[in-house]
Amino acid sequence: MAFLIRTIDLTADGREIIRDRAIEKKALTIGRASENDIHLSDLAVEQYHAKIEQAPGGKLRIEATGGLAFHLDGKVTKSGQIDPHEGAELEFGTYRLVVSQSGNEAPTITISQVESAAQSSDDLAGFSLADTLPSKRVSAWLGLAAILIAFLAIPIYSHLARSATPDGPTNDGTVLMDASWSTGALSQAHHSLEDNCEACHAKPFQSVQDTTCLTCHEDIADHADKPRQLTGRGPLSTGDALQWAVAEQFGKEGPGSCTTCHTEHEGAGRMEPTAQQFCSDCHDTMDTRLIDTQLGNAADFGTSHPQFQAVVFTQPGQTNPQRISLGGKPKESSGLIFPHDMHMERSGGVARMAKNLGAKAGYGSALVCADCHTPNADETSFLPVDMEEDCEACHSLVYDKVGTTFRTLSHGNVEQMRADLAALDRVPRSPAASGMLRGRQRPGQYSQGGLYYQNFGRPVRSLVAINRALAPDGVCGECHIPTTNNGKPDVMPVNLRDHFMINGWFDHDAHTQEDCTTCHKADASKSSNDLLLPPLATCRTCHMGEDDKSADVPSGCAMCHSYHPKGSADAQIVAKNTKSMGVPGRQLPNKDKQGIDAVLAMLGRKSD
Amino acid sequence: MASLPNEQNQREKRQSSDHEGFLSHKKMRWLKIALVLCLVTIVAYFWIDVTPRHNGGSWYGYTLGTIGALLIVWLALLGIRKRRYGAGRWSLKAWTSAHVYLGLALIVIGTLHTGFQLGWNVHTLAYALMMVVILSGIYGVSVYATLPASLSNNSKEMTRGEMVDALAAIDRQLQAAAQPLGREESDLVIAALEQSTFDWGIGARLSGHYRKCATTRALSHFADDWSRPVGSDEPKDKVRSLLGKRKNQLDQIRRHLRIRALLEVWLYIHIPTTIALLAALTAHVVSVFYYW
Repeated sequence: MAFLIRTIDLTADGREIIRDRAIEKKALTIGRASENDIHLSDLAVEQYHAKIEQAPGGKLRIEATGGLAFHLDGKVTKSGQIDPHEGAELEFGTYRLVVSQSGNEAPTITISQVESAAQSSDDLAGFSLADTLPSKRVSAWLGLAAILIAFLAIPIYSHLARSATPDGPTNDGTVLMDASWSTGALSQAHHSLEDNCEACHAKPFQSVQDTTCLTCHEDIADHADKPRQLTGRGPLSTGDALQWAVAEQFGKEGPGSCTTCHTEHEGAGRMEPTAQQFCSDCHDTMDTRLIDTQLGNAADFGTSHPQFQAVVFTQPGQTNPQRISLGGKPKESSGLIFPHDMHMERSGGVARMAKNLGAKAGYGSALVCADCHTPNADETSFLPVDMEEDCEACHSLVYDKVGTTFRTLSHGNVEQMRADLAALDRVPRSPAASGMLRGRQRPGQYSQGGLYYQNFGRPVRSLVAINRALAPDGVCGECHIPTTNNGKPDVMPVNLRDHFMINGWFDHDAHTQEDCTTCHKADASKSSNDLLLPPLATCRTCHMGEDDKSADVPSGCAMCHSYHPKGSADAQIVAKNTKSMGVPGRQLPNKDKQGIDAVLAMLGRKSD
Repeated sequence: MASLPNEQNQREKRQSSDHEGFLSHKKMRWLKIALVLCLVTIVAYFWIDVTPRHNGGSWYGYTLGTIGALLIVWLALLGIRKRRYGAGRWSLKAWTSAHVYLGLALIVIGTLHTGFQLGWNVHTLAYALMMVVILSGIYGVSVYATLPASLSNNSKEMTRGEMVDALAAIDRQLQAAAQPLGREESDLVIAALEQSTFDWGIGARLSGHYRKCATTRALSHFADDWSRPVGSDEPKDKVRSLLGKRKNQLDQIRRHLRIRALLEVWLYIHIPTTIALLAALTAHVVSVFYYW
């Protein structure tokens, strides 16, 4: 076995000198010492660095003999085995030894010296992601610039450079990209202002001002006069005072400003109702501060709310209504005679009448509330009961028949009735008429107790007939209280109110799933003097305070009350009689701008 | 008593010479601080009655927003602190520990600041960018905790330089061994040799799937020919064997690249997104008060 050692040297001018020599040995030594078989003059190589010897299967084994390793195919190792047929590359210091063998020839070791190129960091830079991805710095700057331009520079520039036309709710918004500043959709009422931010946000870095709100809401009235509000509210708590002190440093208007209660950008739909606490902060113990108030304390509908009070007429012919509590058994006096229970009986005369009139006329087997009571257009309340529409189908005012046509008395006009009846008896025309008027002779439906019997009085002389009609047992006296007006028989005027609450409201449409009698105990009412409005307790079967999550309907104050007075006309009527409830305050300062101080003084509790 | 400061000093030295990661720095001091911060803000969120509902614009919202914004700016300053060598009042390890834990606390503070009111606006952009930064940071911490071990497993005591050298050595032999081959086969070898080791996209690096690898293609061409004995002198067999070695070496390098990429890629999100977040935060704060 031999090795062929091939040395490649370079001359000074770069020419290669190749020298071959054969070594007839089974093992070769490699090192810096000159007695080695392969002598490598490099200080990085040890004196006796390694040994190459034959291994079974034509392989070669390389073993480091000193302490230092060598490179085998680029890897640092101290020993290794190679197949010379496959070839391998060894490196000792700056020397590269390429081992090869072809056929049965001796393994060849080609020695050359290579430039000791220190591995530059560039060779290793490829391991990092830096070449693969865009530079962090570049993408950071790009992101920074894009965001600052799109979301800051463009909106601010276009806001400052917008045309001189004043901002307003009817103009279109002209500021670009400021939709990206919106923290949420506006409520339904303000939806038209969605792209018109500057309509409300009038000045940069100034919170939305009351005067801006009042450009549209110019007719709104204040909750109460300022001194009463200040007294009613009492001093601020330490926490609130601190909060407002900070807020006012930043230009917030103060505790009475619109935005304190009305928050916007809370999402589309109805504006969030103001929380109960805004009311209860003052109203929970208000009587201790506002000692002359007629209002009871209220903090929570479920646990702390005064009994309802309804505005009704308590005496026949009264001109000014009274406010009475719905606790106990409240009575009114409308001037009408109407027993609800009789009309609502499932059997009996009234039910039979309804049956006889039949489904064609819109009746069932007995009368129901809707046969007489008609909701108004928005179904929140009811139209006044109309005699001709709602009663006359049964309570007929027919007094004569001409051929096939019935003549009917005109309801609500006593003079007309007198004239009609006075004209009648001159020419009695038909058995029907005479029967109706005389109240006798004809048996059957027209006789006394019959279906169509009406007692208009006897037709002996017209005056008598007229007086009969107006008597307690006459046709008018059936529902009306007879009286005398200027010496003539007449009836008491009917005083029925179409709404009863002045500081709150009730929406029937929201309660259609309930039967009327759940709240209005009409089926048990024998007299029209019963005020059939439910007391507080009835409402509380479903409605409890805002925080009572076990209630069917947790209800905040705003469900039935408005902070800004609405029905001031009612309040004034009642005020004449009952001395001051919460007196509505003046109109807020609006278009004729009086400056921040004036508005604050008007709205807030800042004393000055 | 005189020996006490000395003892303490030694203990401190001993402690700092122990390898204590930034996660467990000072017995997790910053984890505790961050947890307390989260707990306080969460309890306050439910305790403080903000009407009509929690919102970045309530007083508590402003408070959380201020804390959050200051935290974001301070957390971003780590990028500056780590470039300033020399001991400040706090070591870089303390900074990093605080960075990680306070950064995590920012999830709670930032989310409570939103009052869970999110939308398509610059405010939610800032929130989203913040969450991206934090999530990429969480990823970064978790890969730093797990991947370096697999990196050293893969390298089998070879340095990156040695891996490149080994590949070069194989390439030189391949160049020599391929000399007798015909045109078509030579071209396959040339393609394998010329193909860059590193010039691949982020997808290949992260997945480890190099679909257009010329070495694999060449190797499949020089398929094993069982008719010849192992170790035959046939040039094709030599080339095939060398291509196999080349493939093995490439695989090791690629595994290394993959782990490195997994280790580094989050920074390419974390850093630029942090800068974008600072911009969005500025836009958020300015816009809120501009249209107040």
